[in-house]
Amino acid sequence: MTSALVPKKKKKKWVSYSFLFILPSLLIYTLFVIGPTISSFYLSFTSWDGVSPEARYIGMANFEEIWNSERVHNALKNTILLTIALVILENVLALALAMLVDQVRWFKNFFRSIFYFPVLLSGLVMGFVWTIILNYNFGVLNRLLELAGLDSLKTDWLGNPDYALVSIILSTVWKSAGYYMIIYLAALQGVPPELNEAASIDGANKWQQFRHITFPLLAGAVTVCMMLSMIGSLKIFDQIAVMTDGGPGFATETLTYIVYKVGFGELRQGFGTAMALVLFLLILIVSIIQIKVLRRREVQL
Amino acid sequence: MRKRKTWNDVIVFAVTLLLAVIFFFPIFFNLMSAFKSNGEILRDAIAFPKGLYLESFKHLLFKTDFPAAIGNSFILTVGSILFMILLIPMAAYAIERTNKKWTYLVYVYYLAGMMIPFQAYMIPLFKELKMFGIYGSLSGPILIYIAGSVGFGVLLYTSFLKGIPREIEESAEIDGCTKVGIFWRIVFPLLGPCTASMVVLQGLGIWNDFLMPMLVLPSGKPKTMVVEIFYYIGEFSSRWDMIFAGTAMSVVPILIVFLLLQKYFVKGVAAGAIKG
Repeated sequence: MTSALVPKKKKKKWVSYSFLFILPSLLIYTLFVIGPTISSFYLSFTSWDGVSPEARYIGMANFEEIWNSERVHNALKNTILLTIALVILENVLALALAMLVDQVRWFKNFFRSIFYFPVLLSGLVMGFVWTIILNYNFGVLNRLLELAGLDSLKTDWLGNPDYALVSIILSTVWKSAGYYMIIYLAALQGVPPELNEAASIDGANKWQQFRHITFPLLAGAVTVCMMLSMIGSLKIFDQIAVMTDGGPGFATETLTYIVYKVGFGELRQGFGTAMALVLFLLILIVSIIQIKVLRRREVQL
Repeated sequence: MRKRKTWNDVIVFAVTLLLAVIFFFPIFFNLMSAFKSNGEILRDAIAFPKGLYLESFKHLLFKTDFPAAIGNSFILTVGSILFMILLIPMAAYAIERTNKKWTYLVYVYYLAGMMIPFQAYMIPLFKELKMFGIYGSLSGPILIYIAGSVGFGVLLYTSFLKGIPREIEESAEIDGCTKVGIFWRIVFPLLGPCTASMVVLQGLGIWNDFLMPMLVLPSGKPKTMVVEIFYYIGEFSSRWDMIFAGTAMSVVPILIVFLLLQKYFVKGVAAGAIKG
């Protein structure tokens, strides 16, 4: 129908229109995403400090340093720990919240909003709120422990290297669980209630129904949420900046935080960029796995 | 049987309510403490405020850079969003409706950007803004936000456009409507749900962003609201009343907008999660 009714001349014109439609975003995107990414590859082979006009080429030295540095190993360990803990805790809590909100009879929307609200806060503001709650001297958590007569449990939650990372993990779970809850809720609405009813007539208890009916039907949502929380955890930054600044010592320094600390705090932007590229590689691998897994699922469905 | 069912509902409700109280407590605590004086906070952190102490709000609003920072956050969010919903649907439309090899390549080129984290290119960006002579103006961050959202936006809009039949556009073309006219008068309004998702998702992200504005806006001048709060930790580390009031001021606008547009938020985030 198209080619028969539209004159040839107009068709040719459309090509130039489509070019004009694409051009502005293409320019901005190339200049402000692709361009600087390419310069980062170059910068990662230099010892640039971010201030001097010339960047000195030093070959693979930055990458060798990354490979050998204790500090980077520690940050990698923290990043992996944080990611594993977050992926598990966020998803378990989100799924539990989704099941509860799905089943609760009164104030459904109200509860959904309450659990979802922390997602809307900036990571920085959220980190701030938690810094105050976890403060040693008059933080509300220590105050509650005092009131409960558990003075011995009072701790400097963010100043003690044993608890700092745990504190960051738990507050991040609080912030992001609601996000995954929404995805699980959407998936739960696709589970036909007849299946559970039939199973319950056959004598299956609640746990068996969940284990054999609901959970398998949620598999798609589980994959999406796990991948999203994995990428989110690898990129975590704001909370650490405000809650611990990577400390005490290097107890909460992650890969993202090193990039910033080294590049802007210690004026070693060449090294910082090299670090950033390593992080990029890590995220790229996770994203590719994500796409592969999701594609495979699409075929099945 | 019926009785057991009711009991079940009550238990589910009680558990949910308990979790909701725990969940909302940090925000409630923050808002409540904003109305306490520094002395009151130090004396007993969890006591209710004695009265409505408004001095910290007055101080922040009339004696600091806070209002200017709120203004900057507002300009950045609205400015970036306007350009995004102007440029990205246009590009997505041209890509989806022109079945040519080069448009497919552009599409792949855009999507590749979704995997590049901001940290990977933030250091050269800084240099680039200085080179273009726009370091220090709000246009820098706006351009960076637009560029950063192109990949996700094009993905969202092209997949939505696939579901819109071409027949309407074709008949308009036969009636003599230009491509620009077709796009703005016919296609753009049909993209409404998609645009709403973009506005909510990206708007929230920009309003809340911390790292980028901190890096690319010059020091010594008011930055954005979130960055300004960050600097208050250092400056007012012992003035807890100011810190509580500052964070409360950043939470309240989000709370209000969320209550008004709740439906769109949930839909927008769900759409974003599945695409992104």
